[in-house]
Amino acid sequence: MVIKPFVTTYLKKTCNERFILQIKRYVTSHQYSTQIRSERSILYKPNKWEAIIGLEVHAQLNSKTKLFSSSSTSFNEPVNTNVSVIDASFPGTLPQLNAKCIELAVAASLALSGNVQLISSFDRKQYFYPDLPAGYQITQHYAPISLGGKVFLNYLDGLEYETMVRIKQIQLEQDTGKSIHDIVPGMTLIDLNRAGIGLIEIVTEPDMRTPKEAGLTVKKLQSILRAIGSSDGNMEEGSLRCDVNVSVHEHGTPYGTRCEIKNLNSIKFLMAAIDVEIERQINELENGNKIVQETRGFDVKKNKTYRLRTKETATDYRYMPEPDLPPLILNKDYITRISDNLPELPDDLKTRIMKKYGIPLHDVIVLMNETGGIKYFEEAVKNRNPQHVSNWITHELFGRLHARNIKFSQNPVSALQLGSVIDCVDNGDITGKVGKKILEKIISGDSRLASTIIQEEGLRQLNDINELEVICQEVILQNPEQLKSLREGKQTVFAWFVGQVMNKTKGQANPKLVNEILRKLL
Amino acid sequence: MAQDLLQQKKVTSVTLVRDCFSQISKHNARLNAFIKVQNENVALEKAREADERVNKGVIKGALDGIPITYKDNFCTKELSTTCDFMSPFNATVVDLLQDAGAIMIGKTNMDEFGMGSANMYSAFGPAYNPHTIISDQKEPIDQEPRVAGGSSGGSAASVASGMCFASLGSDTGGSVRLPASYCGVIGFKPSYGQCSRWGLTAYASSLDTVGIITRNVLDAQLIYDIISKYDEKDSSSLSPKLRSINASLASFDKTNTNVTDLSKLRVGIPQEYYVFELSDPIKNLWKRGISLLRSYGATIVSVSCPSTRYALPAYYILAPAEASSNLARYDGVRYGHRSDMDSNQEEELLYVHTRSEGFGEEVKRRILLGTYTLTAGSYNDYFIYAQRIRKMVQSDFDSVFRRPNPLHLVKDETSPFYNRNNDEIFEISNQLRKENNGVDVIMTPVAISTSPKAKDSLSSSFLSNSSSCFSTDNTSIDDNRFVNAYVNDVFTIPANLAGIPAISVPFGISPIDGFPIGLQLMTQYGDEHTLFYISKVLENNFFKQ
Repeated sequence: MVIKPFVTTYLKKTCNERFILQIKRYVTSHQYSTQIRSERSILYKPNKWEAIIGLEVHAQLNSKTKLFSSSSTSFNEPVNTNVSVIDASFPGTLPQLNAKCIELAVAASLALSGNVQLISSFDRKQYFYPDLPAGYQITQHYAPISLGGKVFLNYLDGLEYETMVRIKQIQLEQDTGKSIHDIVPGMTLIDLNRAGIGLIEIVTEPDMRTPKEAGLTVKKLQSILRAIGSSDGNMEEGSLRCDVNVSVHEHGTPYGTRCEIKNLNSIKFLMAAIDVEIERQINELENGNKIVQETRGFDVKKNKTYRLRTKETATDYRYMPEPDLPPLILNKDYITRISDNLPELPDDLKTRIMKKYGIPLHDVIVLMNETGGIKYFEEAVKNRNPQHVSNWITHELFGRLHARNIKFSQNPVSALQLGSVIDCVDNGDITGKVGKKILEKIISGDSRLASTIIQEEGLRQLNDINELEVICQEVILQNPEQLKSLREGKQTVFAWFVGQVMNKTKGQANPKLVNEILRKLL
Repeated sequence: MAQDLLQQKKVTSVTLVRDCFSQISKHNARLNAFIKVQNENVALEKAREADERVNKGVIKGALDGIPITYKDNFCTKELSTTCDFMSPFNATVVDLLQDAGAIMIGKTNMDEFGMGSANMYSAFGPAYNPHTIISDQKEPIDQEPRVAGGSSGGSAASVASGMCFASLGSDTGGSVRLPASYCGVIGFKPSYGQCSRWGLTAYASSLDTVGIITRNVLDAQLIYDIISKYDEKDSSSLSPKLRSINASLASFDKTNTNVTDLSKLRVGIPQEYYVFELSDPIKNLWKRGISLLRSYGATIVSVSCPSTRYALPAYYILAPAEASSNLARYDGVRYGHRSDMDSNQEEELLYVHTRSEGFGEEVKRRILLGTYTLTAGSYNDYFIYAQRIRKMVQSDFDSVFRRPNPLHLVKDETSPFYNRNNDEIFEISNQLRKENNGVDVIMTPVAISTSPKAKDSLSSSFLSNSSSCFSTDNTSIDDNRFVNAYVNDVFTIPANLAGIPAISVPFGISPIDGFPIGLQLMTQYGDEHTLFYISKVLENNFFKQ
C-alpha cells in the first residue's frame, strides 16, 4: 500500500497552502494520518466527524511456566498455589527469562509481519499496587522485541471492504496478580497465581475508524495468535485483554485528543464502549467543550464510559532499564527456524479449507474459533462428506460440549469416533437421532467407536420391512381411538402413529420406511 | 591456613568453633558485629561432624569445618535475614560454601540495605572497630570507639576479631573494601558477574557484588574459587562460555614465573586519585607501596582516568535510582513490617505508614533521591547522564589496562574471538595486549583516612555535600566532617561502576592513631588472578614502623 502520495493529494484537496505546512509537520512528527481512506470515509453524524481508534491488546503467552519463574501458569488453580519466591518478589530473588515465551513472542511478531529485533531489552515500569509484588512490572519500554507489522481485514473477516491496521510494536511483559475486592467486606484479597505470567502487548497504530473495524481487528489478532499457538486468546478467562484509544475529529482537520478506555473484556463490550465513547466525544465537541486526555472505564450496565483518571493525576511510571536482565540478543538462525515452523495463518487457512472442502466461510470461521478445530475437521473429513462432517462438528459436537461446559481442548470425542458416528448415519445403519445419542455417550466417556456401540448394544436401524410391518400393525390395533380420529380426517394423528412406532423401536426404526408402511396400512 | 591445620589434624573444627564463640562472648557486646549469632550447640554439632569426616579422610570440601559468617543481607534458611524474616532459600554463594563444608557462625551487622560507609545506619546499632581490642601494638592507641566501616562493618569486625575465619559481605560502592581497610583485613570485590547474586538482598542490582573478607589473600582466593560459579538463577552471572574465554586470555600471573621478579609488571598510578582530602599517613603509605613494587622491578606508570571525578556523583544517581526500585517490594503485603495504621487507608496512601516506619532515615533519603531522578522530568537530566558517565569510567579503565576486556571482545560475530578455541584466544589476546603502554594493575588508596571516630561519623546529610567532594573551597571543619563521609567512597566506587575486580590489602598502620590502612589494587575485568598475585606481594611486605 502506497501511503505518502495519498496524504499529499488529500491535503491538496482540502487545505490552503499554510495549513498544508502545519498538517505536514503534524503528520511527520506524529506518524499519524498516514492512512486516510476516503474510499471508506466513515463519518459520524452530521456527516463530518471521523473517529480514530487504536488498540493495545494484551495476550497471555501459551507457555506452561511464567515469564521469569518456573511456576505453572495453569488456570483456575486454588488461589496462591502457582506462586514461587520470584513471583512473590521475595528479597534476594532474580528473574530468569523463559525461552518458550520468547519463542512465542517471536512467532507472533512473524505472523503479524513485524520486524523481530535482534537486540531488545527489559525495563521496569514502576507503580505501587498490592497485586504487583515487586512494585514494578518488567516490560519492554525502550527497546521492544518487535517493531512494525500489520493486520489485514477483508470479507474473510466479515468486513465489506478491505483495510489494513498497522502494528506499532510488540513487547514482552509480565502479568500482575489479581485483587479480589468483594469476598471479604472491607478487605482486598490478593491472588498471585497470575502474577508473572508472560504477556505480549500488541500496540496498533490508530488506523481503525469504526467499532466494527476495532472488533474485527481484535478477532483477527485472536485467531492469528491461536493459529500459531502463541496465546489461547480467551477474553472470558482474561488470557486476552484490550485497552482502546479513541478520538474524534472533523474530517480534514488534525486528530483530536484521545481518551483511553481500559479493561474491556469482550469484543462485544469493546465495540459498545467505542460506540458510546465516539458519541460522547462528538457531543462534547458540538457543545463547544474540549476533550481532556484521560483514562476511562466502561460501565456495561449503563452502557456508558466514565472517567478513571485524568492526565494530571496519571501515574509517572518512572521507567528504568531492568538491571537484573541483560539485553535479549537473538540471532537470525533462531528467527528463521521459528519462521520456517510457523503454521498456516488464518487467511490462508480459510481460503484453503473453503476451496478444498467446499464448505461455507461461516463454517470455517466456527471451526477456527476453537483452537485445533480445523485440525480436528481435517482428520474427521477423510473419505467423508465435508458438509456432513462440518455440520456434525459445528452443530452437534460444539453445541454439546458447550452445554456441558467442556472446552474443546478437553474434547473427549476422537476424530475417529466422530467419523464412525457420521459413517453409521450416512450409510443408514442408524438414524440421525440415534447418532446424536451415541455422540452423547461418547462425550460422557464411552471410548468405543460408534460401530462397536451399535453392534454391542443392538442399536442398528430397523430396515426390515416385514418386521416393521408387524410392529406397525400392532400399534394400529392397539390404538383404535386414534385410528378412528385419523379416519375422521384428523391428519396430525398420522405423525402420532409414526412417533409410537419409533418409540416402540427405541428410535431404531428407519423413519422413512415407517412412514411408507403406515401410509400404506392406514 | 586454618583448613590446612584441620586437614593435617593439628587442630579440630570443634576447637576452631569454640574459639570463635569465645571471641564472640568476650567482644561482641562491645563490637556489635552480629545481628544474629548461631546457636553454639548447632555449630559445635556441625564441627563434630566435620572432624569425623576429617578423621575418616572424607572431607566435604575445601572449607570443611571452617567457621564463617555472612553479612545479614544474604538469605539463609537457617538463620533469619534481618529481624524475623525467614528466607525459604539459601543464597547461591551460601549454598556453595556450605557444600564446601563451611559452618555458619552468624549473620553480621551492616548499614541498612547496604546504604552507608560507616555501619552507623544499622537498625541494630553501629558495629565498632575491633582494632583496639586485637591490636598487639606496644604503644597505646586511641581508645575512643571507632567505626568498623560500611556497609559490611560487621563482617570486617567479625573477621578481624577472630569470631570467624572469613565472612561474605556485599560491595556496591566499596562496602567490603572500606571496612576491610579500617579493620585491617582483606576485602575483595570480584568482577561483576563472577559470583551469583541470587539470595543477596538487592540494593543497586547493576553494582551489587558479593564480596569476601578474610585475614589473608590465600583465604580470599580459596573462597573466591568456591563461589565464583555460573548460576542460571542470576541472569547477570558470567556465562560458562565467557568464563572459558576469560580463562584463556593472557594475563600477568600466567606469564610471570618468579614471585620476586616483577620486572614485567606495569603498575598504574591514576593521578586523579591524588585528592585534596587524602590524609598524610595514607599518602605516605601509598608512596611506600609504589616504591615496594618498584624495588621488585615493576614499572610504575602514571595513568589518567579523567572520568573519576564524576564517578561519585554518578554513583549517587544510579545507586539510589536502582534502590528506589528494588526496595518497592517492601510494602508490608507479603512479608516484613506492616503498620497498624495502613488498614482503612485510601488506596493511594496504602503504604505510607508501613514504609515510613519500616525504613531508616538514610534508606528513605536514598529512595526519595532515586524516585526523583527516575521521574519523567529528570530521567534524561540525571539518570541518562549518570549512565553515560558510567560508560566513560569503564572506557577509562579499558584504555589503561594492558589486558583486553573480555566482555567487549565476544559481543558478536565481528569479534576476533568469535568461534575460536582457547589457544587461539590466548594468541589473539596476546596480540591485542597493549604491551608498551597498558598496565597490569592499578594501585590506589582505599580510603582517605583511617577509621573515623564514631561520633564524627554520624553524618545525616550526604545530599547537601555529595557534589562538593572535590571542592577545594575553605569549607568549615564541620562541613568537612560530612563531606568526608562521602569522599570516603571516592576510591572504591569506580571499580563498581566499571565492574572490575578490586581488593583492599592491609599494608600499614597510621603513625598518628595506630589504626590500620589498606591499599587498593584493581585489575581488568576477569583478571582476578593477577590481582591476587600482586596482593600477596603487598601482604608479605606489610609495613611495620
